[in-house]
Amino acid sequence: MTRPRVAKLRRDLWQARGRVALMVVAVAVALTAVGAMLVARAVVSRAAAVAYTGTDPASATLDVPGGVDATLLARIRQRPGIADATARQSITTRVRVGGQWRRMLLFVIAPDDPLRIARFTVESGSWPPSPHGLLIERAATGVLDASSGSTLQIAGADATTTPLRVTGLAYDPALAPAAQERTGYGYLTPAAAGRLGYTPTADQLKIVVGGPRGRELDQATVDRVAGDLAAWLAGTGHPVHQISAPPYQHPHHNQTNTITALFLGFALAALVLAGVLTATTLGAMLAAQTRQIGAMKAVGATTGQLLRLYLGATAGIAGTATVLAVGPAVLAGYGLAGLVAGLLNIDLTSRAVPGWVFLVLAAAGIGTPVLVALVPLVRAARITVRAALDDHGTDARVGARRLDRRLTRIRGGNRTTVLAARNMLRRRTRLVLTLALLAAGGALFTTGLNTAAAWQALVDDGLAKRSYDAELQLAGPAPAAAVRAAGAGVDGVTAIETSVTLPATPANGTGRAEVERTYPDGGHGRFNLTALPADTTMVHFEPTDGRWLRPGDTGVVVLNQAAATRLGAPRTGAEVRLAVDGQLTRWRVAGIVAEVGGPATAYVPAAALDPLTGTPGLATTVRIRTAGDTQAATGRVEAALAAAGHPVAGTTPTTELRGAVDQHVVIFIYTLVALAVVMAVVGVLGLASAMSIAVTERTREHGIMQAIGATPATIRRLVLTEGLLTGLAGCLLAVLLGLPGSAAVGDFLGRLAFGLPLPLRPSYPGLGIWILLALAGAAAATLAAARRAARLTIPQTLTHQ
Amino acid sequence: MNDEPVVDVQAATKIYSTPAGDFPALRGVDLRVTAGQFLAVVGRSGSGKTTLLNLLAGIDRPTGGAVRIAGTDVHALREARLAAWRGRTVGLVFQFFQLLPTLTVAENVMLPMDFCGTVTARRRRPVAMELLDRVGIAEQADKLPAALSGGQQQRAAIARALANDPPVLLADEPTGNLDSTTAAAVLELFTTLARAGKAVVMVTHERDLTGYADRRLTLADGLVVSDAAVPA
Repeated sequence: MTRPRVAKLRRDLWQARGRVALMVVAVAVALTAVGAMLVARAVVSRAAAVAYTGTDPASATLDVPGGVDATLLARIRQRPGIADATARQSITTRVRVGGQWRRMLLFVIAPDDPLRIARFTVESGSWPPSPHGLLIERAATGVLDASSGSTLQIAGADATTTPLRVTGLAYDPALAPAAQERTGYGYLTPAAAGRLGYTPTADQLKIVVGGPRGRELDQATVDRVAGDLAAWLAGTGHPVHQISAPPYQHPHHNQTNTITALFLGFALAALVLAGVLTATTLGAMLAAQTRQIGAMKAVGATTGQLLRLYLGATAGIAGTATVLAVGPAVLAGYGLAGLVAGLLNIDLTSRAVPGWVFLVLAAAGIGTPVLVALVPLVRAARITVRAALDDHGTDARVGARRLDRRLTRIRGGNRTTVLAARNMLRRRTRLVLTLALLAAGGALFTTGLNTAAAWQALVDDGLAKRSYDAELQLAGPAPAAAVRAAGAGVDGVTAIETSVTLPATPANGTGRAEVERTYPDGGHGRFNLTALPADTTMVHFEPTDGRWLRPGDTGVVVLNQAAATRLGAPRTGAEVRLAVDGQLTRWRVAGIVAEVGGPATAYVPAAALDPLTGTPGLATTVRIRTAGDTQAATGRVEAALAAAGHPVAGTTPTTELRGAVDQHVVIFIYTLVALAVVMAVVGVLGLASAMSIAVTERTREHGIMQAIGATPATIRRLVLTEGLLTGLAGCLLAVLLGLPGSAAVGDFLGRLAFGLPLPLRPSYPGLGIWILLALAGAAAATLAAARRAARLTIPQTLTHQ
Repeated sequence: MNDEPVVDVQAATKIYSTPAGDFPALRGVDLRVTAGQFLAVVGRSGSGKTTLLNLLAGIDRPTGGAVRIAGTDVHALREARLAAWRGRTVGLVFQFFQLLPTLTVAENVMLPMDFCGTVTARRRRPVAMELLDRVGIAEQADKLPAALSGGQQQRAAIARALANDPPVLLADEPTGNLDSTTAAAVLELFTTLARAGKAVVMVTHERDLTGYADRRLTLADGLVVSDAAVPA
């Protein structure tokens, strides 16, 4: 037989089933977001790790310009600490796609390569392809506008194009996705490379560092073994120009994990809000039962018994919401995981959700509302019999407090508004909770939209600092004056500037070869040393510390934020060391600048790299400003440069740069906006609940007012005004809280993605949407409750308990 | 009857602090009630009747003096133990019944047994039915309070007050909400319970207590004005 106290609880919850449903929905919605983030993070993290490690990536890649033949390779495999080794070639070229050039990275692999290191999976076609063909990475089909059977016009060593047929697709999850890098990836044999005019030279020595116990994962050990090998190779007449030892994780591992952790934080904040809603609603329901609580205590109920009863109810509500949320959370998590996996070009080979996700979901779903509800439940359960039986639904302090007395001195104004304002301030604690719920929900909502707007603004502002329309990479260093002369007269070119860019590595000054962290795609982890005119008109990066280059500067360097991070955040005036092609260089930091969309780069004055290149006045890069059709003008410049004997290896229109940056962040912006919507839903539900409770509490009061002449319309107007005032107050607080919230989130996300804090950009449409939502929610909730109250007769309202 | 007082109040004082200053609701009240006695506490509004009852029930604490109920110094009990003590020792009947609206009459009667654990779960319903039969509303057992008349609800409240067989029954104007016929029936019920050995203390505005209460304690301005037997 059910115990009477449990029967009472069950029936009370059924009587208030509308509010119970509100609580369940709020917790379930927030928990769905939490669960989706947990599922997506768990599934994607696992899949990314499996996909990446499944390629057996090289522990390190040594750039050996003279190439590594089979005999040398066999000796290398015998070296201490080397578990395996292979030699390949990487060629950076470009391919003609729809009238414009696209960057292409070709991986040249000997047909007899056992493919034990840096493996890829053949999805269609077969390996090795014929000398007339190649495989392309599956994610590059969009970038290259090609598929199996297509023919690609690939630029060869002499800049002329040679057709190669796409004979199949490869899946290589170790590379950053082609769409994000705006680069196509191809896999071909040395024979095919030869057809393109390249001399097959296996100059990329890929090693796996390890021993009998398997692959070595300690980065310091990997660096040491790679460095030792480089020293040995140098001693045997095979100098090493560069060592790259990227971390043993997907290129986007850290970013993805950190961003999903932030989003999980957002979702948990929504869950806390839902918990506050539950606490507020339960608190109000218990307040309405104050006299019943008094009666129960009068007949022997202890505080502990009542507390356990109501905590059990809370746990039951939260538990129901948790059960309801699990399915949608998993489905939403799968959806998000699929989107992120697509972004990262990894296969979700397993969608199994780890058991700990369900445990965390249950703990958060039940624990959060119970913990948050503890305060009002304890307060309700601890009420004395005397206080409970004396309770008449109004706060006895009303009218005795200073603010109440001040409010009575307000003269003039609309009587309804004044009365509504006083009513709003009657239950201070509940008002604070309701406003906190609204403000937090609105602040998180506006923070989400503000951050999305700020992200776009940072990218817009950052790219606006580039006053050029295209950047051309020369096939080799060329006389700068000649290059400028060839390009300046081209139709459509309004300005031209040259610079020299050399790959560099932060130097440790020990004399050993420096180890970079560049991934095989050549993008992630790259560090450039660029010499350009101090009075350049092509870029206007804003200094965040110190200054930009000045004419006459010598021995100084200006770092972008990514370079500064790689160099340990040196202050202005500090000395930094960079290794360039094995040579150690020293520079004094003149300033740090903010640069969006570029790799880590150290900028030096135009002639500063002459000692390194050996020839003054060289150029490796050309930037042009155009009028009219940029693509056509760029093509004409290429032709002019080729005709002058300075062929171009690659071009990057600034619009392409925009596309690459957007690809990196678009899904995270959409996820942020989706979370913002969840916040809004929970916030408005909270307001609806609070207003419904407030109206129900004053049923008798409304009956008294009607008994002395107030019409139902007056009551409705009074209630609606109070609801709108509460909604408006919550909106104002949301705006105030949203700004520092946006600044904090923007700072974190911006530094993570770009090394720069996002600017504070209030989203006025987002603010407008929130204000409308809050006011509409307040109006809807109060009207619905007010209509219910207005339908009661005066005798019914006067005897309402 | 045992002459040892079940209710023993010595120099009880209760002073309330109000914005208008200290208000002495009770000023040195002495009171003794033995088992089987039916005491009516009368007086005008503000005389201290309800305050006295609250002190006896442990709902309020005296500012001074002592309150001893069934051998327990109530004024010395901590809040955490008061509820359990009250459920076992004191049966409370209120003017407005205070039945829980979502529980049936029988469930309301079983509630104190549930909280205090004085009756096993299997025995609760039979005991509740006995009590309801005793107060004459056994046939209303499975109805909600809203379906009962005022008098029936008050009888249900009395049955609930008897659930844990307490030695003391305290009633705060139990007939204040009832018509005269029903009020008389309730007073008769209290008389029967007193004769069965309960100590009954009832705060009332009823004028004619003849045939019901044994004693009438008259309070005025927090002081005992008279404490006399009610003529039979």
